[in-house]
Amino acid sequence: MSALPDFKDRAKAALADPVLKTAIDRTTGNAERKRAAALAAFPEFEAARARGKAIKDHVTAHLDHYLEQFERNATARGAQVHWAADDAEARAIVTRICLAAEAKLVTRAKSMLGEEIGLPHALADAGIERVETDLAEHIIQLAGEAPSHIIWPAMHRTREQVAELFKAGHQPPPAAEDPATMVQSARRVLREKFLSADIGISGANFLVADTGATCTVTNEGNAELTTTPPRIHIVTAGIEKLVPSTAHAFALLRLLVRSATGGEMTQYTTFHAGPRRPGDADGPEEMHIVLVDNGRATMLANEFREMLRCIRCGACMNHCVVYRQIGGHAYGGTYPGPMGSVLTPVLDGLAASRDLPNACTMNGRCAEVCPVGIPLPTLLRAWRRRSWREGLEPGSVRAGIGLWAQLARRPRLYRLATRIGLPLLRLFGRGGWISRLPLAGGWTDHRDLPRPAAQSFMDQYRAQQKGRK
Amino acid sequence: MTARDRILSAIRATLGPGKPPAQIAAEAVALLDPADTARPRLAAPALPDAFALKATALGTSIDRVAGMAELPQAMARYLSAHGLPPSFAMQPAPELAALDWQGLAPHPGVAADEPAALGLALYGIAESGSLVVHSGPENPILMAFLPLHHVVVLREATLLPHLEDYAARLSAQAIPRNAILITGPSGTTDIEGSYVRGAHGPGFLHVILIAEPG
Repeated sequence: MSALPDFKDRAKAALADPVLKTAIDRTTGNAERKRAAALAAFPEFEAARARGKAIKDHVTAHLDHYLEQFERNATARGAQVHWAADDAEARAIVTRICLAAEAKLVTRAKSMLGEEIGLPHALADAGIERVETDLAEHIIQLAGEAPSHIIWPAMHRTREQVAELFKAGHQPPPAAEDPATMVQSARRVLREKFLSADIGISGANFLVADTGATCTVTNEGNAELTTTPPRIHIVTAGIEKLVPSTAHAFALLRLLVRSATGGEMTQYTTFHAGPRRPGDADGPEEMHIVLVDNGRATMLANEFREMLRCIRCGACMNHCVVYRQIGGHAYGGTYPGPMGSVLTPVLDGLAASRDLPNACTMNGRCAEVCPVGIPLPTLLRAWRRRSWREGLEPGSVRAGIGLWAQLARRPRLYRLATRIGLPLLRLFGRGGWISRLPLAGGWTDHRDLPRPAAQSFMDQYRAQQKGRK
Repeated sequence: MTARDRILSAIRATLGPGKPPAQIAAEAVALLDPADTARPRLAAPALPDAFALKATALGTSIDRVAGMAELPQAMARYLSAHGLPPSFAMQPAPELAALDWQGLAPHPGVAADEPAALGLALYGIAESGSLVVHSGPENPILMAFLPLHHVVVLREATLLPHLEDYAARLSAQAIPRNAILITGPSGTTDIEGSYVRGAHGPGFLHVILIAEPG
């Protein structure tokens, strides 16, 4: 993780890193192409998206009902359901279960909620060995880093860098540096851990209310190897993951997989309903489900309610011009990109993260590709409004916008100002473009401004109207 | 107040008094209608063809045979084609045990580095080329994940058109502890987005599709 406390410094550092740019381009470029192909092969996508949005809105409107129904059914299957109002409570519940079981080794299948509640640190503090089993999570565990993407957590690492990490972290080290050999090496190293773990921890993509099952999707098969051999399986999940039934989960799964990786189905889609039953050939003896609020009930009540539809596919970041320049770590929160810029102020507070909603060009690509129709730019604007209202914007910004607002509300004065300003601005133009401007280096260092026309739109319009008469 | 009470009362303070459960359930069902407008069409008119097209596109190999009696031969063919020993892990299901395995040596239980395992799928789903496996006394889940080669027997009669058709059957029967949809061999794109098979689960998935009704 970047140690720089300020978003702008982190973004600057990321922009100066050519290796990072290569790594981001390889993965997001692939993701964008594959998603486009998957949608072309699924002409019903628009109808499916409208349906997915309606399902999520229905669940949100009856969230208490579905939470209680899920709890009832999961309990009937023998699972133990726990509730956590915030991240600290969630960490405490999981740690308590691990300590009560005298667990030495815990395997974990990738879960962004686990990152959100700070589970990796909590386990380390409790002296429990944690082994990340998703290949990307394994890579960043070796690197001592946080995820930089919600689907490809290690996408900021090139294969050469992964080879270095495996050489140092695998015994014996992989024989070659190609992805296939390195994946084989990880398979061998992690296989022992799967079979000797005391507890397996996973997240959930869906919580199915009418069966009490949790649903996890992976392509590697690490979730099943994490949840089957150990004595205890713990699921941590956000309360927005509920769906009424298995059929509703499938309707959302079609959207999730196509939007995330461009596939149609993940290789493994697994429903877990309680612990091992009498006579079962394998499976955990205990299953615990931790339902985590952590700001979600508050979002239900405010202008960020639509964000509860998010199914964590990552399409918004793959298509974001800002994410593709700076990568995930620069955002500084658990969730990067557009969806992260909406969620991080909820989780970490707006004062610490007000730069994120501002680091957006409002080009609307994220909302276009969102499989559940979340108006991400609108939600980012809502944070900007709040930041203004709460006085979090710095004095220079407030003064500048205040001045502009004074002008904008006085059309005569505004026209006078443009008439004076235009010729001045044109003085800095070279060959149709302005590439340097006093006091505006923040803009012109990275972009050129088109040299403005000699007359303002209003003046040109008036002249044209006169000519017609 | 417990965390549960705090969360639920915060939600209720926003949502107000709830509708009757029967009305919520009816609304939920209505959200899925009509089914066909929002799901993919099948890749071919006949279910076995549609299933085979989808499955092979994902890297699953398929051997179509006439009846269960031909299963041992089909298994022998697969093992020898991949240079595998005649010994393999087999799901402890009576209909597999009842077959004449001739020169092959199926054994129960699955080792951590098992080369190959043979199991039965409960259903196949034509829309996506998925196999459905349920946990139970006769079906250890690890058998589908530990081996390098996973061979699955699927009867054409158990093929279902869409994912919803499986969901309907799931609600009709008791929910298993684990219900798994397997769609292709294990894979990862975690290193620079380049696809590698056999990440943690089987690197090879082979379906023996049985034409005769069960």
